[in-house]
Amino acid sequence: MSMAGRFLGGAQDRLLPAAIPFRFFVTAAVFHLLAWMVLLLAADEVAGFRGGTGPVLAAIHLLTLGTLAMTAIGASLQLFPVVTRRALTRNWPGHFSYALMLPGVALLSWGMALHQTTAMQLGAGLTCCGLLVFVALTANNLRRASSIPVVAAHGWLALATLFVAALLGVLMIWGIELNILSNRSGLAITHLTLASYGFMGSLILGLSLVLIPMFVLSRSLPPNPGWAQLGLTALALLVFSISFVSEFPGLIWLALIAGFGGTGFYLWQMAKILRSSMRKRLGLPFVLMRASWGFLILTLLLVTAYLAGLAIPNAVSLIGFVLLAGWLLTFLCGVLQRIMPFLASMHAAGKSGLPPLLSDLTAEGPLMLHAVCHFSAVTLCGIGIVADQSLLIRIGSALGVVGAAGFATFAIIVALKVRQGPRTS
Amino acid sequence: MSNEVPGTYWMAADGLHVDTRGLPPPDPLVAVLWHITQPERNGPVIAHFDRDPVYLLPELAERGWSYEYGAPDSDEVRLTLRPAP
Repeated sequence: MSMAGRFLGGAQDRLLPAAIPFRFFVTAAVFHLLAWMVLLLAADEVAGFRGGTGPVLAAIHLLTLGTLAMTAIGASLQLFPVVTRRALTRNWPGHFSYALMLPGVALLSWGMALHQTTAMQLGAGLTCCGLLVFVALTANNLRRASSIPVVAAHGWLALATLFVAALLGVLMIWGIELNILSNRSGLAITHLTLASYGFMGSLILGLSLVLIPMFVLSRSLPPNPGWAQLGLTALALLVFSISFVSEFPGLIWLALIAGFGGTGFYLWQMAKILRSSMRKRLGLPFVLMRASWGFLILTLLLVTAYLAGLAIPNAVSLIGFVLLAGWLLTFLCGVLQRIMPFLASMHAAGKSGLPPLLSDLTAEGPLMLHAVCHFSAVTLCGIGIVADQSLLIRIGSALGVVGAAGFATFAIIVALKVRQGPRTS
Repeated sequence: MSNEVPGTYWMAADGLHVDTRGLPPPDPLVAVLWHITQPERNGPVIAHFDRDPVYLLPELAERGWSYEYGAPDSDEVRLTLRPAP
């Protein structure tokens, strides 16, 4: 607990012990590095990937569960209590969730890479238990929410879609052995959609309504556009899932229209926030976040083109790559490089005086290296997938490894500064 | 932004008071930072919150303002803000 928190007493303090969010964030940075490394090793299989176990699937899960979900959990545990104005009732479930997720994701990815069904089952079991602890902890907090209901409602949608996505994932892993699934590709696409647009997307759309104004120093938004964004996103996810599981493809156009609508409301609100910003220089994090919004639009356009029958080579791989590495990874790297020094400064704050400057708690060189390598990696891999050129994907993945190493260096530097402990004043 | 600054404020003998209680996040942050960045502001600012404004502290440091928590109160959290010497 921060000095300020101790001074004020526990009831008003919603700042978690630094170990909880930072443990998730540093682990996310390490899995990020591993994901690019595995992609580099599997470069020949990326363009033609259509599902199934192997190193590409392992790289996908190192990214989605290891990096994206770890970041989302760490950020949610810290931010939802601020949004809901209700402190987490206990800290140990956060530690417990991490203790289950870490070996779970490692084992699951290892099993996927080497086609080891038992390892996958065990890894999936541990990961799902870790996610379930997070769902229970967050649901308990959201249930007691007394502030900003539109953000809390996004949290509920995220938890619901995470639950279904995890269930489908487990079903597919068990289905490999039992051979019981007739519509495996439909389930896989629904699993990916609910996990990415559903869980991660709902969290990003909801928490952006608080985080982005806080980052740029802009007033809170009126709630109605946020409700419209939520309603359209939920409709898109529901109709998309029904269309794939029921093999009734006509519905997918309705889902796409709703998806474009939800995205439109979101980006309109983000533009409004940026226009009224009190902060003059938004810096590198917002270069990444703005680019990620471009990738979000690109994924929807690619899905539309694919469904309309346009001949995009390796369209499925390309859409998945732009969705995960383009939109979600770029956005979360932008958020993390803004929020980690911010949290570190808050934890170092005393009951009076001046906390450390944010500029003293970051590492600009490694972050610049990451940004340059990340954008180069996404571009080269994207072109490599369309052109079916393994060499381009290999070079792109190698740049991704270098960028991820830069980001991990930043994360470790900030975490070490937090470990030095709060200033006394 | 001056017409849109959230919260209420008044001048008293001990400095400018800014009351952000009841505002949703991040409006308390925006209100306090708006007041301390006004060109004529160099005296103490007494900020009233209904919760610990932990997210404000790094922003104060960036602007060279120090803070001091007031005595614990069940109804509010009070910070006295001054330009750092």
